[in-house]
This record gives sequence, structure tokens and C-alpha cells, in this order.
Amino acid sequence: MIVPYALEISVVCVGIFLLMVDAFLKTDKTTIAWTGVVVLLAIFGLTFALGPMPKGVIPEAFYVLDPTALFFKRFLLLATVLTLILSIDYSPVYQKFVPAAVPQAGLGEFFTLPVFACAGMMFMVSANDFIMIFVALELVTITFYVLVASMRKNQGSLEAGVKYLILGALSTGFLVYGITWLYGITGYTSLDGIQSVLPRVPEQYQPSVLFGLGLVLVALGFKVAAVPFQFWVPDVYQGAPTPVTAYLSVASKAAGFVVLLRVLEPFVTTPTFQVKVFGILTILAAVTLILGNLAAMSQQNLKRLLAYSSIAHAGYLLVAVASLSAPGAKVAIGFYLGGYLLMTFLAFLVLLNVAKVSGGDDIRDFNGLGKRSPVLALALLISMLSLAGLPFTIGFLGKFFIFEAALASGQYVLVVLGAITVACGFYYYLKVVMAMYWQPPAPSATNIQVSPFGQFLIALLVLAIIIFGIFPQPILGALTHL
Amino acid sequence: MLIDFLPILLHVVVAVGFATVVLVLNIALGRAGKRTKIKDTAYECGVIPEPGPQPRFSVKFYLVAMLFILFDIEVVFMYPWAVVYRDYIAQHGMLIFWSMLSFVIILLFGYAYAVKKGALEWGR
Repeated sequence: MIVPYALEISVVCVGIFLLMVDAFLKTDKTTIAWTGVVVLLAIFGLTFALGPMPKGVIPEAFYVLDPTALFFKRFLLLATVLTLILSIDYSPVYQKFVPAAVPQAGLGEFFTLPVFACAGMMFMVSANDFIMIFVALELVTITFYVLVASMRKNQGSLEAGVKYLILGALSTGFLVYGITWLYGITGYTSLDGIQSVLPRVPEQYQPSVLFGLGLVLVALGFKVAAVPFQFWVPDVYQGAPTPVTAYLSVASKAAGFVVLLRVLEPFVTTPTFQVKVFGILTILAAVTLILGNLAAMSQQNLKRLLAYSSIAHAGYLLVAVASLSAPGAKVAIGFYLGGYLLMTFLAFLVLLNVAKVSGGDDIRDFNGLGKRSPVLALALLISMLSLAGLPFTIGFLGKFFIFEAALASGQYVLVVLGAITVACGFYYYLKVVMAMYWQPPAPSATNIQVSPFGQFLIALLVLAIIIFGIFPQPILGALTHL
Repeated sequence: MLIDFLPILLHVVVAVGFATVVLVLNIALGRAGKRTKIKDTAYECGVIPEPGPQPRFSVKFYLVAMLFILFDIEVVFMYPWAVVYRDYIAQHGMLIFWSMLSFVIILLFGYAYAVKKGALEWGR
């Protein structure tokens, strides 16, 4: 019989193998990254051989393999592959900021650590026990501390690393404290156990349960960049190496949302807690929507803009979380994150290629990109329109499903708020488009060449955004079939 | 029930009170008279303090300390493991053995990596 967590074990083995290659063989470091890409794609293929398993089949109670978990494992593998490809593109910039004791110093780790983070996140999306959630979360977070701060001669990267480390450690503290409260009241760390006990919690202990859940929500809110736990996001996103920023904003957020869904499951299905928990989530969603979108409007730096936009998207996803009582909410979250993966990676791919030539990632560095590189400009246009939510893109359908779920569960305030903030979104996303097509390029600006592989990747992402924006069935199918 | 925590409350009161009294006394008595540079130096039995207050350490100390913690944690896991080992094997089979073995093998790879990267070469 095949071990249920064979996928994670194989990803860890890949990581260790790549680390050993880096340490013992004197190969060109980019081969490490390419090996990683190929092997992870092979594992991605293997996920299709491994179907979802019902709960009783797996002996380990801390691990589940439902359609959601399997979908997000594929999602995370793809995100890691894309991150590795971006990292290869980024390696010349990266090397400028790393003390070069030997040629290509630090690159091996830069290419290997995402693989370990991937394994951690794959465990996260299957974790069904607070201990497992905690261990997997730490594997991911510690890897990200290193990745964010890895450009040691770049002040921005170091600042981002320190901020992420301190706030991350604080949020871990909240998580553990919350887990101890929940364990203290219910006597279980497993979510199934908590689910079975919750309806019988005596009334005098219900505030304690809510307090524990609140602490856990603080930690998870930090992970998914929900307001008011978003303070680290703009600085960390701006300072971190660009591929790491993309990875952080897509994969880490997605894994955080899956954990959030799993943790909330027992609470939103228990009538005594339902109303209060949904109340908390509604407030979280509302403030995240408002602050993320309003703060994004005044940004002059594209990386910071994407950081605030990532907060805003967390807001839309939280709208779906607050509508969990509707049957379509979970699928809507999965679909939205799938679309978010495509458009965010496309945006960061263009950003990286432009910043490599222009030397900066302010919006004015994109002036006249329509003339300097029509391919990149078109790609960024599609990505921005999809992030804003224009019809016939995947971003539109994602928002559509979320608002549909919100209407079905009666969250009318959130729907109105969402509609208004979508309009704000158009303003700041189109600001980038305006810079590309209506502003003249700076006199010193040169044309930007994209490698054939880069063009292929851009075409692939653009096609995926448009095709899944018209034809969502493949993604929806993967999310629902058992 | 809550009364059981009274000693702890007393402890907190004493700790905070002592600190407050000493700090206030320090301000009331210590600020009297003229301030000079010599008066402001740290008091070390009348000897003029020699090195600065923040001596610099080589970064190697941190590296070794970090590796020490990493490989020390291993033993922390192994103690409880060794205590329940015999009973667990009798009841549930060899899973506990393979779990620890895979853990140690992963650590071994980490060790090989650290050695090969020169983390333990003090001379560099």
C-alpha cells in the first residue's frame, strides 16, 4: 500500500538531494534549479495517479487527503516550479547582493529552500491536527525567514528579514497560546476531536474557547495578510528577492487559507459558536477589503502596490470564508486562489524582467513599456486587468463565485463593500497600465529583450488566465470530485 | 480557587515594588551634586572599566552556537523516545524505530552539508 504522504516525503527527498548536490558537486548552480523544476513537475504528474482518500482509509488521524488538499498540493507544486524558474531569471541580480566568497555563492540555497517550503506547505494543506499544523507552519516560516533575508548586502532585504522574523515569531506565539487554550477546554489537539467535543462545551467555558480561537485567528491572519495583522506585508514584499515575494504572496497565503478553513470547520458547524465566529470573520473581511484597497491607491512602487493588492485579495477571500455557510464558498476560495496564482506570477515575471533592465521597480520605471517591450506590456496588461476583475479573465470569475457565495449566505454588507472596493481596484491597477501605454519612456530607457523560454512562459500564463476565465470547469472539477 | 494564586500576586507586588523603590531612590539620591564624566562611568570596585560596554564577537560564535542548538535538539527528542521505546515496540511494532531513524538520517545530511560548506572550520 502506498503511504498517503508519499508526495511530501518525495518533495523532502528532492530538497535534501539538491542540497547535497549543491554541497558536494561543482556543477553550475542553475542546473540545481532546473533539476528541481523537472522533478517537481514529475511529482505534479504523480498527484494525478494518487486520488483523494476518504477519512477512514488513512491510519494517521493528523493527515487528510480530500479534494481540497489534493488540489492545493498541485497548486503548491506549480507555484514552487514557477518560483524556481523566476529565481533562475533573478540570479544575476541576487548575486550582486551576496558576498561572493566563491562563484555563485548562496545560489544553491536560494534554489533549494523553496523546495523545503513546498514540502512544509503540502503538509499544511493536509494537516488535521494542531500539532501537525504547527510543525508544518514552522517548517514553512523558518524557510521563508532565510529566503527573505538572503540578499545579505541589500539593506531592504535585511530589514524585511528582521521584520518578518520578529512579527512571525510573535504570531507563532499567539498560535501556540491559542492551541493550549483550545486543548485545555476540549482535551483534543486534533480537529476531529475538537469537532466532537464542541457542541458539549458548557456555557461558562464558551468565552475561553472563543478566546483560544481568536488567538489562533490572529496567527493565521498574519499568515494570510489580513488587516489588522498586515503591517509586515508591504515592507517584506518590497525588500525580499522578487521570486520570494511572488512565492510568499501566492503559496504561503494559499496554505494559510486552507489551514484557516480546516481550523474554522468545527466552529462554523457548531450552532453555539457559528454566529460569533462569522461575526469576527465578517469584521476581518470588511476592514481587510477597505484598508488593502485604499492603501494600494497611493503606492508609487509596483512591488508595494502588489503587496497591498495582496492584502486586498486576502479581503475578497475572507469574504468567502465569512460566507462558509453557503455550499459554494470552499470551491470559490480554491478557484480564486488558482486564478491568483496565475495572475500574480505573471505580474512578478514581468516586474522581474523590467526591473533587471531598469534597475528599479517603481511604477515610473514602467513608463512607455508598451514601446520598449510590447510582449511584457501586454502580459502585464492582462495580469492587471485580471487582478482588477475584468470579465473574460480568471480574476472576474473568481470574484463572481465569491460574491455568489456571499449572496447565498446573506452577507449583503460584504457584497456591497466588495463591489465598491473592486472599483477602487480598477483605479490602481489601471494606473500601471496608464504608465505603460500613455507615458513616454525615460530618455535613458532601452528596449527589453525576453528570452524565448520567458516568452513561452508568459504566453502560457496569459492563455491560462483567459481560457480558465471563460472555461472554469477543469479547475472547478478538480476541486469538487472525490 | 483564585485564592491559590495569592502568593504569585504577592511575588509580583514585591518584585515591582522593590524595583520602583530602588529606581526612585536612585533618582532622588544619585542625581544630587555635580555630574562629571567620571561619575557617569559604570562602577567596578573603583577600577576604571576597561573594554567598552558592547564588545564585538566573531560571527563564528553564532554559527557554532546555532549548529550546537540544532544538533542538541536531537537529543531532546531522543530521551522521551528512548523511555517509551520498549513498550511501544511491544504494542505497536517498529514504526517508532523507523521514524527516529529517518529523523536522524535527515540530520546526518544536514551535518554533511554544514561540514562541507565549512561551517565548522574555525580558521577561515
